[in-house]
Amino acid sequence: MSAATLCLHHFAEENYALEDYQGGVPRWCKGCGDNAILAAMQRLCRDEALRPEKTVFVSGIGCSSRLPHYMRTYGFHGIHGRALPIAEGIKLARPDLHVFVNTGDGDCCSIGAAHWIHAIRYNMNMTVLLHDNHIYGLTKKQASPTSPIGTRSNTTPRGSYLDALSPLTVTLGVQNVSFVAQAVDWIPESLFQILTAAYRHRGFSFVRILQRCPEFVGNMFEPWVHDPQRMLMLTHADGIRVSPALQKIYRNQLPHDPADINRAREIASSEDPIPVGILYRNPEVPCYEDLRGAGKLRTADQVRGTLDAELDKFTVWPQ
Amino acid sequence: MDSRLRSQVVFHLTGRQPDDGGAEQPLPAGLRPALLAPYRKLESIRHDFPVVLAAGPGEYVVSLAAAVDGALRTAAPQGLQGEAMRKRALHIERLIREAVAKGAQGTLLQAWDTAVAGAGTDDAWRREMTAVRNALAVDGELAGCDSRLPSRFLRHAWAVVQGDKARAARLRIDALVLRLEGILRADYARSAVAFQVANLQQTFGGSHQALFNFATMSRLLSPAASQGGLDTPRRARIEWALRTLREQAFFPPPGDPGAQEANNGGFAFDNVSAALESCRHRLPDMLSLLKALSLAELEVEGQFVEQLHAPIFDGMQSQDFTAAELQFFPDYLVTLDSDAPGVQADLGNALSSGMPVKVLLEVRDLLEEAAPGQGRFSFGMRGSQLASMAMTFGDAFVLQSAASNLLHMRDGIQRGLRHAGPTLFSVYAPADGESTLPGYLAAASAMQSRAFPAFSYDPGRGSDSATRFSLENNPQPDVDWPLEFLTYADQDLQAVTEELAFTFVDFLLADRRHNRHFAVIPRAHWGEGLISARQWLESPPADAATGLPYVLAVDDADLLCRVVVDERMMRAAQRCRETWHRLQELGGIHDSRTEALLAREKAAWEQGRAVDTAALAPAAIPAAPGDQPSIAAAVPDTAAAEDEAAPNPDVAYIETLRCSSCNECTLASPKMFAYDQNKQAYITDLKAGSYRQLVEAAESCQVSVIHPGKPWNSDEPGLDELIERARPFQ
Ligand SMILES: Cc1ncc(C[n+]2csc(CCOP(=O)(O)OP(=O)(O)O)c2C)c(N)n1
Ligand code: SF4
Ligand code: SF4
Ligand SMILES: [Mg+2]
Repeated sequence: MSAATLCLHHFAEENYALEDYQGGVPRWCKGCGDNAILAAMQRLCRDEALRPEKTVFVSGIGCSSRLPHYMRTYGFHGIHGRALPIAEGIKLARPDLHVFVNTGDGDCCSIGAAHWIHAIRYNMNMTVLLHDNHIYGLTKKQASPTSPIGTRSNTTPRGSYLDALSPLTVTLGVQNVSFVAQAVDWIPESLFQILTAAYRHRGFSFVRILQRCPEFVGNMFEPWVHDPQRMLMLTHADGIRVSPALQKIYRNQLPHDPADINRAREIASSEDPIPVGILYRNPEVPCYEDLRGAGKLRTADQVRGTLDAELDKFTVWPQ
Repeated sequence: MDSRLRSQVVFHLTGRQPDDGGAEQPLPAGLRPALLAPYRKLESIRHDFPVVLAAGPGEYVVSLAAAVDGALRTAAPQGLQGEAMRKRALHIERLIREAVAKGAQGTLLQAWDTAVAGAGTDDAWRREMTAVRNALAVDGELAGCDSRLPSRFLRHAWAVVQGDKARAARLRIDALVLRLEGILRADYARSAVAFQVANLQQTFGGSHQALFNFATMSRLLSPAASQGGLDTPRRARIEWALRTLREQAFFPPPGDPGAQEANNGGFAFDNVSAALESCRHRLPDMLSLLKALSLAELEVEGQFVEQLHAPIFDGMQSQDFTAAELQFFPDYLVTLDSDAPGVQADLGNALSSGMPVKVLLEVRDLLEEAAPGQGRFSFGMRGSQLASMAMTFGDAFVLQSAASNLLHMRDGIQRGLRHAGPTLFSVYAPADGESTLPGYLAAASAMQSRAFPAFSYDPGRGSDSATRFSLENNPQPDVDWPLEFLTYADQDLQAVTEELAFTFVDFLLADRRHNRHFAVIPRAHWGEGLISARQWLESPPADAATGLPYVLAVDDADLLCRVVVDERMMRAAQRCRETWHRLQELGGIHDSRTEALLAREKAAWEQGRAVDTAALAPAAIPAAPGDQPSIAAAVPDTAAAEDEAAPNPDVAYIETLRCSSCNECTLASPKMFAYDQNKQAYITDLKAGSYRQLVEAAESCQVSVIHPGKPWNSDEPGLDELIERARPFQ
């Protein structure tokens, strides 16, 4: 787009309210942490003035994956574990869209783990929200890869046997990682700040959000929710700063430079206190869509031709 | 005065050979400056020429030598094994160089094939040379350094830029066409017409048509047809933009070199007025295309707002074009001859027109006599001074170079062609046959001798002339004349090494048109009265008899001789040196004002430093940085909590900042609780509900941020129990 058109564009800049992004009425359980994530997301869209028709939320399957229904933007409620490949396809075809991904700990770290690893490496420009409630919520309480050892669930009635997988350290270990952060649903302000930083980062921004599931694992995060001093706020001029009001509650702070990946890995391994903030950011990593010259427009004939060819492969010809 | 010396003095002062019997011999054939003696067999030296005017992506021009080196890197085995193959390929390269010097034309591959065929080699040879040929990464017309080079080179570089521009523009235009068509198609697809039986049928592949009942389908779908669709003004706008974009005549379709070449033809001229006229003629179409582009870009983004944008589009005029907007369109290439009458006025018109004009000024002769055979030379008026004049048009890009240096200037030439604004390329290439030297050496010696220095003035580099102006590529730019060593054998066959300057006079020595300003002195007469031209220029002697200027030259047989130069030529050389000084000053070399300033600052600095050193106390050593704070033991920042005013426990409140937007309280008691602009809860009106409702809300708040305080209505039933239940949340 030319500079002149851009200028004409700004002419017609619109202002949005939070309600402009409110889709259907959420059907999550009472007190579910997903509500806080939804609110922070709507606030981000409003404050960044994201045009609804230029924004798309992609998800897999799970309670958390219902989030796109509650946004009044474009959405793609995909299949279990496949949110990331769908989002990558969207980004390749339409790099002009703001792409967000909502995925659960089962969706991302279990059935979708292979896609997750490669999506990190592809480093496509999108913001990924891992709603990590340490459990399969939608299917009513089965242990997930992030359930702490000893978690009693329908599939592990005597307690789970394995140490939990850490989505943070895994992500930080993959080539081309460019943005890793951790947030918790019960500190909405920092959740919002972290999501904003993630959105503004150009690349694959991975935000693990510890999310309460009061319905099935009500006690999972209780000690941290009720003791602000067991939270560790990461601060830095290049990271996020804790507001004075929040500082009065969350006084436990640690300066951390997001450019330092070794320190990031060390902090990521801490489960208690729970670190909150930006662990790692590297704006220099190239994005796959840039390497591949994404966004090529195709004529109607080309699209039809490709579709026909694909469909022909599966056609059962009428006898 | 001896008669020989007298006649030399007469020659120096008048430029005429005296008739008193002391006549000098005519200049021997092939006389050239002594410093150029080693370059007699230019074809056997791997130098920048010929060049390949490369088609396709990558560098747009490369030297033949670089192309062959590149091919050998891939085709020839490493080390000693590949040695023979490299030698043979270099032989072919030399044959090509010779052929081009003799006037051969065609592409690199054609020349390669001819050379290989002519080398009369056996099959194994041929196969080997075919392998090298296949490894050549570039192909295109070969161009030697002759009088046609400047126009061929520039025209080629310009065509490459036009091709790039056309590709980028077509990408933008074609994408917009697709997306505008998409809007119209989507509008149609949702319309009642699209849901008519016949039209539905059309959308299905033939093999499945029989399986569907299109009448039923039409009945089912029709109610879903959109009412109205695109409004009329929007449709009209989109259709107008589509038409304008499809019919534009500035950029041919990509991937068709013929069409691009034909299109280029409409933008290349040999006079300024025709170019400007053609440009003016196209202005209305340019305006329409720019409008259509902006309009389409707004439309495809759904951002066109009638009231806001329509007046802006209506008010657009071609006078308002910015340089960046003009740059989107093809540029005009105008080739001018510096000898043509009125060229100065033409240049002025072109450079001040504000149009995207790229001018090539071809300079053939650097020395001009005001009246033939008479008076002063007005040195360089036609050539290098025109370029200096062009720099006064602040936004014009100016690049000057001898033809021999064009390859080194290729990046600068591209910058000039991509410059948003007028550009002047002033290039010196002597007319063929005017010099006793081959074209490459003739051009190179013009640059070497400061007769035609290389420089560039690039307004895109910065705002002051220090950053814009560059003397890059000139040899030894900080001295008057470049100095080189010449080693020769004297009469006793002993090696003698002498440091020689290559002056303006050396350059002209090889130009046949100026032969009469030189006279050869036989060795027997290399008498006392002679001084080198360089010395003469540094301090011209008061009396011609005490110092006659000469330059060292060699004849065809490489025999050294001294050549006396007449005085008018020496004066021209002086003016050449003055012009060079002005350029040096522009380029920040020996800048008189800066040098004065520098001297002053340096004195001040040294004074200041003396004071500082005296006052310097031993520096405090900074404390070593501590270890990273431990994660587990990170210290709570208690200071921040000090001034915290504890909330009154008797009054109900919500820690809004910590509310996780779960909808519990707001749905249970919408009159008591509400969300703020960030969707976090606060108490709107306590009295709108009961203390019981408040306590229950606190109990159901998963993050425990509702604090009920004390009841406000002592008549409420069951208060004791409620107060007890509220206690954990205070
Ligand atoms: C291929 C496939 N396998 C299994 C399921 C059943 N399934 C639905 S949701 C889910 C797990 C969801 O857990 P998580 O991703 O953590 O989301 P949450 O509900 O906790 O937000 C499973 C296993 C499915 N829908 N598809
Ligand atoms: S089951 Fe858990 S995660 Fe799912 S909606 Fe209910 S509370 Fe939320
Ligand atoms: S119940 Fe608590 S978390 Fe939920 S909306 Fe009310 S105050 Fe906020
Ligand atoms: Mg889960």
